[in-house]
Parts: sequence; C-alpha cells; structure tokens
Amino acid sequence: MKVLVVEDELGLAESISDYMVKEGYVCETAATFREADEKIYLYTYDCIIVDLTLPDGDGFQLINSLKKLVATTGVIIISARNALEDKVKGLEIGSDDYLTKPFHLSELNARVKSLMRRRQFGGHTEIRFQEIVVVPHTRKVFVKGLPTTLSRKEYDLLLYFLSNVDVALTKASIAEHLWGDNIDSADSFDVVYSHIKNLRRKLIEKGAADYVQSIYGIGYKFSQF
Amino acid sequence: MKLLAKTNRIYLGFSLIIYLLTALAFYEIIRFLIYDEVESRLQVERLDFEAYVKAHDTWTSSPYFVENKIEVSPVQNYPEKPGEVFTDTLIRNRYDGEVMPFRQLTFYKPIHGVMHRVEIRKSLIQTYRLIEVITITMAIFLGLLLLGTFWFQGKLSGRLWHPFYETLQRIKGFNLNSGVALQLTHSEITEFTELNEVLKKMADKMQQDYRSLKEFTENASHEMQTPLALINAKVEQLIQSETITETQTYWIETIYQASRRMARLNQGLLLLAKIENHQFQDSQLVNLSQLFSEKLKDMDDVLAFKEIAVQVRIHDSFGAQLPGPLAEILVTNLVNNAIKHNQLNGCIELESTINYLCLSNTGGTLVSEPERLFERFKKEATGPDSVGLGLAIVKQICDSNELAITYKQTNGKHEFRLSKLYAESTNTNSM
Repeated sequence: MKVLVVEDELGLAESISDYMVKEGYVCETAATFREADEKIYLYTYDCIIVDLTLPDGDGFQLINSLKKLVATTGVIIISARNALEDKVKGLEIGSDDYLTKPFHLSELNARVKSLMRRRQFGGHTEIRFQEIVVVPHTRKVFVKGLPTTLSRKEYDLLLYFLSNVDVALTKASIAEHLWGDNIDSADSFDVVYSHIKNLRRKLIEKGAADYVQSIYGIGYKFSQF
Repeated sequence: MKLLAKTNRIYLGFSLIIYLLTALAFYEIIRFLIYDEVESRLQVERLDFEAYVKAHDTWTSSPYFVENKIEVSPVQNYPEKPGEVFTDTLIRNRYDGEVMPFRQLTFYKPIHGVMHRVEIRKSLIQTYRLIEVITITMAIFLGLLLLGTFWFQGKLSGRLWHPFYETLQRIKGFNLNSGVALQLTHSEITEFTELNEVLKKMADKMQQDYRSLKEFTENASHEMQTPLALINAKVEQLIQSETITETQTYWIETIYQASRRMARLNQGLLLLAKIENHQFQDSQLVNLSQLFSEKLKDMDDVLAFKEIAVQVRIHDSFGAQLPGPLAEILVTNLVNNAIKHNQLNGCIELESTINYLCLSNTGGTLVSEPERLFERFKKEATGPDSVGLGLAIVKQICDSNELAITYKQTNGKHEFRLSKLYAESTNTNSM
C-alpha cells in the first residue's frame, strides 16, 4: 500500500515515513505544495497524509485536486490549527480524518489502518494476530474461535495494540487514544494499567498467549516475542 | 434620555420662561401706560378744580356720580409735607354692591382759609378690561407661536439628526467577527460626514487588528505545535530502539513528559485567547445537565478505578446558550477537576435544576485561597501533568457566555455551581 506524506517540516515527515515503512507501507514524502501536486498527478496513492499549511500553498487545495483525480484515496489531515472550522471544512471536501499536532505516531498509524480497512473492504474485514481475531464491523473478539467479551475501553485498547504491533506505546498515547485529547489526569495512567491487566487476563483465560509486555518507564508493547 | 427629547425639553423649558417673562413685561408696560394716561387726566382735572376754587373760593358738587367724583373734606391736621398722592382704591357700587377699581389723586387745598383734602377719582373699569383683553390675546398668540416653533423645531432636529441615528444603527449592527466592513451613508452635514469618516477608520482599524491578532494566534499555534510534534515523533521513535538503558529511558521519559506538557500549555493558552477574542460562535442551547452526566458515564472506568461513587440528581435540565465545542471543554475540565482532586472512596455529586447546576466532589482541603482558584497557573496539586489552566479556561468560558460560576467549600466537599448571569424572572417565579 502506498502512502504519501505531505509535510514541510522535514524531520517530522521523516519520522512519519519511517514509521509507515516499518508498518509495511510504501511511503513517499513531499515537502512543498508543488512537489505534492506533481506526485498526485503522476502516481496513485492509497492514502495521503496532508499538512494544511505548506510554504507555497494550502493543503485544502491539494485535497480538492486529489479528490478530482482519484476519489478513493484516503486523506488524513495533520494540522497545528485546532480550529473547528478547519475540521469541518476538511471533512466537507472529502478528507477522512483530522489530527491536531502534536500527535502520537502510533495514533496516526492506528488512524491510517482504520481508514485503510474502511476504504478497502468496506469495513468487512477481520484483523488477525496469531490466535486472536477481531471483527471491527461488529466489534467482536475471538480467541481460538471462542467469543471473548471485552468492555468498550478494553476493545479499543486491543484494537490500538493490534494496529501497532511490535511498537513501544507510551502510556500517554494510550490514555489519549482511549479518552481523547483532554485527558490530563495522572490517574488515567493507573486506569490504563488496570485496563491492560484486565485485557491480558481475559485473553489468557481464553487460551491466548501473553502478548503484552510492559516497558519500564515508557509503556507497553504488543508483541509476539 | 434621547437626544431629541432632551433638546426639546430644554427648548420647552427655556421658551416657557421667556414666554412668562415677556407676558409679565407686556402686562407691566400696558399697565404703566394706562396709569400714566389716567394720572395725567387726573392732573388736568386737578388744574380745573384749582382754577375753579381760585375763581369762586368755594366748591359745591353733588357727589352723585361715581365717575369723576371729586370729594372735598376739611381736615384738621394734615401731613407735614402735603403733596399729591396717587392711590388705587376700590369703591362699592351703590346699586349692586359690586366693588369697582378707581385711581385716586389726593391733594390738599385751602378753601376759605380752611385746609381741605381733595380726592379726585377716575374709574379704572374700562382700562382693566383693556388690560385683560390685551393680556389674553397676547397669551394666546405667544402660546401659539411657542407651540408652532416647538413643533417645527422637533421636526427639524429629527431631520437634521437623522444621519446620526442612521450611523448609530449601523454601528449597533456592526460585527467585528463577520469580516464585513462598516458601511455608512453619506450626509450633507459636515460634522456627520466627519463622524462617519472617523468611525469608519476606527472600525477598519479594529477589523484589521482583530484579523492580525487572529492570524497571530493561528501562526503562533502552528509555529509552536510543529516543533513539538517533531520532538514527540522523535522521542516515540527513540523509545522503539532496543538498546537504551534504564537511565536513558528515564531521561527520554522526562523529555517526553515535558514536551507533552508544553503542548498542552500552548493549546490551553491559545484556547483562552480564542475565547477572549470571541472566535467561537454559533451559540446554541446546550443541555449541560445531560452533557455532564454523559461525561461522567464516559469516565466510569476511571471513576471505578479510583472507587469514586457518582450521584446524579437532575431535578430539571440546566441549559445554557454557548458554542458546542466550548460546552464540551467546560464539562470536560470540570469533570476532570472533580476526578483529579478527589480521594479514594470519594464521591462526585451532580445536581441540577432549571436555575443552576452543581458539581461537587470530596477531596482534601484547599491549600490556596478559594478566590484565586480560577486564576491562570494556580496549581493545587503538585503533579507534572497539570498545567493549571483548566479552571481558568472554565472561568473564561463562563465569563464570555453569560454564565456565573462560584466555588464553595463545605465540610470536605468542593462545590462548583453554574448559574445564569442574568436569571430570567420567569424561572425564579416557577421555582
């Protein structure tokens, strides 16, 4: 799958690109409006990640011309502007998601994956990881074929892990994924811990291996090894 | 008081005074002229009388006629300085007993060697009629003139001031946020044209300043958020590496936390600036009671973890007019605050009526003064994850949306009460 990152801050573009490559995407970057405009004319992408403020143009314009060329390409806006009008305008002209800077790479990755699932299989797809199967369409989880009941937050947590396999996730990114940007309570880290504990217990009870590893001082990693 | 009403009132008061003074002066002048006339006629009669006495040295007259009556009576002791004195006097009509005014000239004259007092009188009844008629006519004409000019003045100033009221109306309807420049009509009066020009210049300047402030806000946000995003991204990449030591992890963790805090701080300050600039519009009626209980439900896992009991008593929904995103922030910040400063096995109570909404939580006693609770960077807990803007934002949202928020601490309970700044009387009655 091909992803284009349009971002003028080179360091950030590089980080996003590295992350995407690690996730198995083919990733290209464009630092200017002109470069990006050229690329969307020449190649077809499954998803583009666009910064709204570019040195030589407006991200909205880019999305407009992209939508005219290939309407099926997924669009995720990343912007420093946390303005509601921008979000509304972005959705109106056909973007799929809006992330306000600074964001977690793991969050961006989760959003890209969710978007790809929705785009490519109309959401009727399963996520498989070893013996764990998640059906996002019905929000059902199966371990070795057995249905497993998870609470709402536990389900979101599992999906977040499955979108970021083999990646160290910080507690802050998990907390913000579960409760939104405005969460700033230190307690939420403890709650994250308690959710992870419960999720682990439920998965192991149904016969799954223990995939959640805690990383000292940082957070957690969902990994086979 | 309206300008026109005020000028009309002043004009009316002033002309009334002038009117009264003129009437008084007129009356006095006419009276003076008439008296002068009567008196000179009395003088002539005196001369006639004196001539008669000189010739005959006697005086006989039948005092039958009231008009032009000359009354002569001998006097024993007459005043030292006998002169002539004019007096007003009233004499009763002998037929119908009506009292009639007379002008009387009194002087002393020796007849036959005996000093006599002589009183010559003239009736004033005709002249009084004259004065009356003239005064009434005057009063009517002056009154009509007064009303006429008053009416004309009212019409005229209404017309003259029309451009001013027009301008006033336009300014009232002017919205800084709309981006539409202030349009004022041209007036043929120089002062109003100047006023309009000045106003237009001011409005344009204000709009320009407002725009640049808004742009600055956005740019500052962009400029700061992007490097922060970069730091975050790099830290996230760094923690993926397998070879970092425990000390390095600790350092990275600290950097990460600091950058998150800075991002939050920046976002908080920008939000405050935006609310202050009234950049949030589209106020709508928000059911805050519902929003609060939904938020509490959404946080149920955090609440359960801290073993905080929640009691919701919604007697009536408390609604307020405010922009949707701000309502969301208001509720989130207050609920977060109630959770953060709570204790294990504590509780949160939500109570609402049509007039107020109360969110109270258990928790330790406040360290700082309660009045300063809503100030910026006023931190109660010494946590690195708190930036101390939550309640300042809440206060700002309330201030700019006609809501009042008060804090009260009673036996270990912290209570935040939201109410409308201008309580409608109908609501108070229905309670």
